[in-house]
Amino acid sequence: MQNLLNGIPLWWYLVVSAALFCIGLYGVLARKNAIALLMGVELMLNAANINLLAFWRYLTPASSGGLAFAAFVLVIAAAEAAVGLALIISVYRITRSIDPEKLDQMKL
Amino acid sequence: MTHSETMTIHQVLFIVMALAILGSAIFVVTTSNLFRAALMLILTFFGIAGLFVLLDIGLFAVAQVLIYIGAIAILIIFAVMLTRGMQGMVPRNSQAVAAAVTVGIIFAVLLLLFGPLRVTVDVARWPVFSLFAGNASPRDVGGIEWTPPNQPIPAMPETYIADFGRSLVDGNQYLLPFLLIAFLVDVVLAGAIFIARQRRPAEVIEDRRRQAEEAAEEAEAMRQAGMTPDVAPLPEGAVASTAEH
Repeated sequence: MQNLLNGIPLWWYLVVSAALFCIGLYGVLARKNAIALLMGVELMLNAANINLLAFWRYLTPASSGGLAFAAFVLVIAAAEAAVGLALIISVYRITRSIDPEKLDQMKL
Repeated sequence: MTHSETMTIHQVLFIVMALAILGSAIFVVTTSNLFRAALMLILTFFGIAGLFVLLDIGLFAVAQVLIYIGAIAILIIFAVMLTRGMQGMVPRNSQAVAAAVTVGIIFAVLLLLFGPLRVTVDVARWPVFSLFAGNASPRDVGGIEWTPPNQPIPAMPETYIADFGRSLVDGNQYLLPFLLIAFLVDVVLAGAIFIARQRRPAEVIEDRRRQAEEAAEEAEAMRQAGMTPDVAPLPEGAVASTAEH
């Protein structure tokens, strides 16, 4: 029997976060559009954040390590979205396409 | 503590939000309409903010709404609208089936590790498990009990936000990563502006400027020779694009 917070055991959060991570990973692997690919990355970062905060709350709420790292993930997600979307828009202006499979100009 | 027959309001809320998160996330990765995908992504972010409320971390629920919905989702919607030509494309590439299988396997492994399933392995029959566990037998794999069963969850201090803020500027805790992140955000903003502003590679710009100059010289020569140029002297857009850069 596990301990409950608000009647909810820790593994509920972990399962939701694992499912969200896998959905995001599928989005990254299987989408044909670079923006949809970035959406998948955002889903994966969110899953990581759920895990960080759930573990922090259930195991070590006295220290602020979980909060700090969740905040870093949040900031890095914002930075990644800004640079990623700038790159996508720039590539779209040049090639009129954002299909990741067609963007192979840098292939040897 | 035992499971009560009726679910508490928190459990119901959790299940509703989990279904909203997972359903909208699946919609995000399968729909062909990118704009709807972006809107459903907002619903996913909102559900995650709800999970943070259930964890009693209101600070991060607010941060989630502000940063993810207020900034990232809006940024994504702008990008979707700026790349209008890519709207109705096929949502999956050729490796979608392989990706789905891989993801399913990863999810099964994660479910075994994090979920409630407790699989017991007879080490005598599967000796490879003794590599991880010495001579323990039989051994549990998966379903790790992260919280100690008979201890209450530690209380969260009332001042957790103040502690968090102090830990970010404490040289013994997270001052260095905090400064590095601040530097990263600076560089990223400058880089994003630079990348998005640079409209075409420098060579293309230089080529177009030379073309425009040559065409202008030619037109001038023709005018001096007494002929009126019957075609437009400049390639279309050449002057405009060089002036733009």
